[in-house]
Amino acid sequence: MINSVRNTVLAIINKNNYGYLSPNDFNLFAKQAQLDLFDEYFFQYNQQINEENARLSGTGYADIKKGYEEVIDFFSETATLAQTYTTSTAVSPSGLANVYTMPTKATTGTDYYLINKVLIYNTLTASGINTGTAAASAGNQLIDATATFTASMVGGVVSIVLNNNVVTTALITGFVDANTLNVNTTAITSTGKNYSIYLKSNLTAEAELVNNSKITLLNNSMLTQPNITYPAYTQEGNSITLSPSLVSNMGQVVAQYIRYPKDPKWTFTTISNGDPVFDQSQPDYQDFELPLDDGNDLVSKILQYAGISIREGDVFKFGQVEEQTQNQEQ
Amino acid sequence: MAYINQEKYYTNDNINPTNENWGSYQYVSLADIVTNFLLMYNGNHSLINNEERYKILFHAKRGVQELNYDAFKEIKSLQLTVYSDLRFVLPSDFVNWVRVSLFKDNTIFPLVENIQVQSALSYVQSATATFTYDGSGNVNTKTSSLDTARQDGALNSIYLNQARMEGVDMPPFNEDYYDTYIGARYGLNTETANMNPTFTIDKKAGVINFDSTMANQECILEYISDGMENGDDSKISVNKLFEDYIYAYIKYALLNNKFGVQEYIINRARKDKSALLRNAKIRLSDIHPGRLLMNLRGENKWIK
Repeated sequence: MINSVRNTVLAIINKNNYGYLSPNDFNLFAKQAQLDLFDEYFFQYNQQINEENARLSGTGYADIKKGYEEVIDFFSETATLAQTYTTSTAVSPSGLANVYTMPTKATTGTDYYLINKVLIYNTLTASGINTGTAAASAGNQLIDATATFTASMVGGVVSIVLNNNVVTTALITGFVDANTLNVNTTAITSTGKNYSIYLKSNLTAEAELVNNSKITLLNNSMLTQPNITYPAYTQEGNSITLSPSLVSNMGQVVAQYIRYPKDPKWTFTTISNGDPVFDQSQPDYQDFELPLDDGNDLVSKILQYAGISIREGDVFKFGQVEEQTQNQEQ
Repeated sequence: MAYINQEKYYTNDNINPTNENWGSYQYVSLADIVTNFLLMYNGNHSLINNEERYKILFHAKRGVQELNYDAFKEIKSLQLTVYSDLRFVLPSDFVNWVRVSLFKDNTIFPLVENIQVQSALSYVQSATATFTYDGSGNVNTKTSSLDTARQDGALNSIYLNQARMEGVDMPPFNEDYYDTYIGARYGLNTETANMNPTFTIDKKAGVINFDSTMANQECILEYISDGMENGDDSKISVNKLFEDYIYAYIKYALLNNKFGVQEYIINRARKDKSALLRNAKIRLSDIHPGRLLMNLRGENKWIK
């Protein structure tokens, strides 16, 4: 979609040689336009719910909310949160083990736009430090000479800290013996790493976000004090603190969140007659992540930014009018 | 919570306690109640929306507590030996008592509550009636003579007409003095007559005090709790006959405390809650034909 959007934008702004948009500028404006539209989805979703409550929306093909949910869910990710103070070889000191880092590019691969839910494994099935690595012929394995692995762990999840504060999770695909499990990750290439094993059936407790002004009261109330069945968390900076504090194991906290869209990047390799030629085989190529029907909105948005950039009021106004027209149609 | 198969029900997959699931189908767990409420009664198109889960959990637990106080009729019992201190420490989950019994010679003897005071705190006093204090400024205490007399078996009981008039030089009129001798002049007072040990519950101190005849005897306390299972949320449950009532109770409690909710909506929720409680109580009243039959059989007994 990114190439057609760019071609449309260039066709509009370059009609009378008003200006030219470099690939670098286009990528900047494209990113900004995508973020604008992404943000709007949440407000439109809320508006649609209000309209449903007022019986202004239908079902079936008239279910507009469903479409918004599909777009938002495209950006949904589930990842294990890293303990803020745990490294691959050292665990968090007492009192800080229940502090976990929110999703970031460094820990989970993507930044979060909003945390939808935080889930807790209510039971730690096994934990330890790996003592060996698999032979090339054996495939991917978790090896711990002191462990007592069982066949019931197959299908479970193993979390292992490979680098500082980064938790890698893998599926346990097979049981070899009490010291060896087959896993579906190739990342376990060194020994001395902390690991934890959980069963998927134990991922049942959802932690509730409680604001900092309420958490003390909540902890002091006999009836509502957070426990492993009904845990809670507060947010401070880029970390969350889980209650009860016994939620303190590596890999025990899993977040389902909505990530930001990836930055779009229109890539090229060769220059032909002074113009860059689109090449989507470049490793850093990234298309828009919004659905195809947002193409017009993206063009309108980018035109507004481009209009400001090239100081051409008509382009800006055209983009603005187009956007308003599309909004009215919606 | 998912349904379990019969093997799991009867054997708990041989995991101790193996009787964990016996009778469990009568109950719905707190976790299920909260989950179902959040799913079915809370949301964008429901009366309840944007409420924190801890509020729903709080009201669910309060509803369970209220049901445990009367409607459930789930009476717990605890048997302990009463030693020479004549005390029975109340169970950790005690809320109110139903019956206290003496278990002796393989027979259960229901005991009568003593309406008189059985235990008292006493301060150390000097000859001039002043108190003495410890380093923290608290008054020094001692065992009261009432407690000593009770534990020694010297305390007279109105329940056996032990307070007799012989040889007593009775003052013209003294109310307390007079009370002690109720019945003594006119034979046995059947209202209080009882040869079994008597007890008094000191709720603040958390003990049941007995008279000296209870020493080294077995005592059975029947009591009610609040169903909170000592804080283990995973063990809290409600009889299924009350499931709808609990949902209605939570809904009413939330709407009633929310600003701006129309009065007719609150009234509807209140009536809903009350009607469901009545229904559940009738269902749980257990008026079985078999039980009625047993009572009716008693009518045919000839009293000779």
